This record gives sequence, structure tokens and C-alpha cells, in this order.
Amino acid sequence: MTAKIKEFPGISLSEQDFIDGKILYNFDKLNGQYAWDTGIGIGSYLASLKNGVILGSHCKTCRKVVVPPRIICEWCYRPMDEFVPLKDTGIVNTFSLCYVTWDMKRIKEPEIPAVINIDGASPLHGIMHMLGEVDPKEIKVGMRVQAVWKPADERQGSINDILYFKPIEEQSHDTPES
Amino acid sequence: MTLLNRDPNAPEAWLGELPVTNRYTFGLAGEKFFRTLKDEGRILGTHCSHCDQTYVPATVFCERCLAKLDEWVDVGTSGEIDTFTLLYVNLDGSFREKPEIIAFVRFADGGLVHRLGGVEIDHVEIGMVVQAVFKPASERIGSILDIDYFKPV
Repeated sequence: MTAKIKEFPGISLSEQDFIDGKILYNFDKLNGQYAWDTGIGIGSYLASLKNGVILGSHCKTCRKVVVPPRIICEWCYRPMDEFVPLKDTGIVNTFSLCYVTWDMKRIKEPEIPAVINIDGASPLHGIMHMLGEVDPKEIKVGMRVQAVWKPADERQGSINDILYFKPIEEQSHDTPES
Repeated sequence: MTLLNRDPNAPEAWLGELPVTNRYTFGLAGEKFFRTLKDEGRILGTHCSHCDQTYVPATVFCERCLAKLDEWVDVGTSGEIDTFTLLYVNLDGSFREKPEIIAFVRFADGGLVHRLGGVEIDHVEIGMVVQAVFKPASERIGSILDIDYFKPV
């Protein structure tokens, strides 16, 4: 409130007022349908997800592999040279524990979005996805994870064809024998 | 080789829908106007004694002198056709064989836009007196469509 106005005029309404029928109102649903052109790069990415492959693209000039694939290199602005299939493993770049869903419902078990640097792509190049089959307390940045895919017949060419990424054993490092 | 061709297996577009809904409340005067329409089957207006104007549907402010209006008047359920039109196209763009007749029905110094019924198109005239036909009380929801249509008196 301000110095002059102690109480703003008007009537504030609560959700309960609508439920109880205390107020008359008109309900309307707007047509929010959209069609987003996937383009060449993301189109190929989605098509290969359907086949269980994470696709990247390679620029020979910059020797970069980016994921998801783009057709123009963001460093040299030239067309990229080829699509390259990548592994479905990677390491956790960063993550978050979400106790609120996208439509603002509180949840007990957190959703765990994470950026995962995909093996085969240039360092620090990754995609955003969810982590699963993991104790939230055990997650560490740098942890190795692998994609858990939907069964092949249920895949639709969507990022959700990967259900989540789950932790896997550390790769055995070749330590020099002493 | 550059990447110029679309993958023939790739989806051309990603389809989705944004969940956009809204609730439009009628405001102070609208609430009372529609509540009375729903519960009592009466049409209310508000009167400005300074400007000698009666607004239908009811408003809380006079459009001319901006005074607050609290003199509510029952304007009855019959009004005069001020103007009308024939609609041959539905809301979804499909064509109608028999047109809908939409009229502006004058009440006091205002009026309501509504459909006409129980009348042949050739017989509709400007100046004709028409009366509101209400839906049964149990079906009314507090909308202008609680009046089913206007019919000639």
C-alpha cells in the first residue's frame, strides 16, 4: 500500500469463490495449437532418436562435434560437414533437484533435470534430460550415465524416446602398471 | 559434403498445444445483471438522473458524466428491433441453409444483441416489438444465452 491509499479498491477473488459459484464468469479455452518446423538438423536428430541413436554433427574446419546437430557451425559460420552417430553414454555436467512440477504442483520425490555431456561430442557439449534410477543424494557432477530408451516400437521421434539417464559404473581407467 | 537435405524419415514439424484458458468475470454491474437474469428472469438497467439516461445492460458508471450509478431499474422483457441482420455462416465457417436472424433489441437507451426466433424472415421489421423467451430456470447458467431468443409479441 502507499501513503495515500490504505486499501486498494476492488474485490479480490479466490479459487474457492469460483468453486462455490459465488461469482459468475465465462470460461474460454484458446486454440493454442502450433507446428514448429524442425529444420534439417533437429529433424535428423529426432528421426535418429527413433532408431535409438543420439546424433551430432561435425565441422571439419573447427574439429567440433555438437549435439544436437546443427547444419551451420557456430564457430566458423560455415556449413557443417557430416552427421555423426554418438554414444548414448555421457557424464553429468550439471543437475538440479526440482520439487515443483512444470505446472506448479509440489512433489515429494524430486525430478532431476541435468545437462549430460554426450560421449563422442566435443568436451562440454551436451543435452538436457532427466536422471533416473538414482538416489538424489548420490548424484555428483562428473558422474557417468547412460540413456534408458523406450522400447523401439513405442518411440515417436521425440526427445522423450529417451526416458532418462541412469548411472553406470566408472570406465576402467588404464593405469600404467608400476 | 554439406548438410542440405532433410532426412526423409524426419518429422516435418513438431506439433503441440499450449494450454491457454481464461475466466472472464462480468464485473460489479455485470454480476448483478446476469445474476438477476439467471435467478429472476428480469433484465436490469441503471439510470443516471443527471443525464436522464438508462443504460442496458446495466453499468456502474454513466458514460456521459462518469457519475456512479446506483439506481437500478427493471426494463421489462420486451424491446424494439433497432436493426437486424441475417447470418448464413456458422462460427466454424460452415454454411447454413436457413439463416440465423440477429437483431439489436432496444431497451430504454441501450439494448441487447440477440437472435430472433418464432418469426419468418420476411416478416421481420425494424420497430417490431419482441419479447425475450427465457430458458427454463434449471438450465440457466448466468449467460446472455439464458435468454433463448426474442419472439414477436
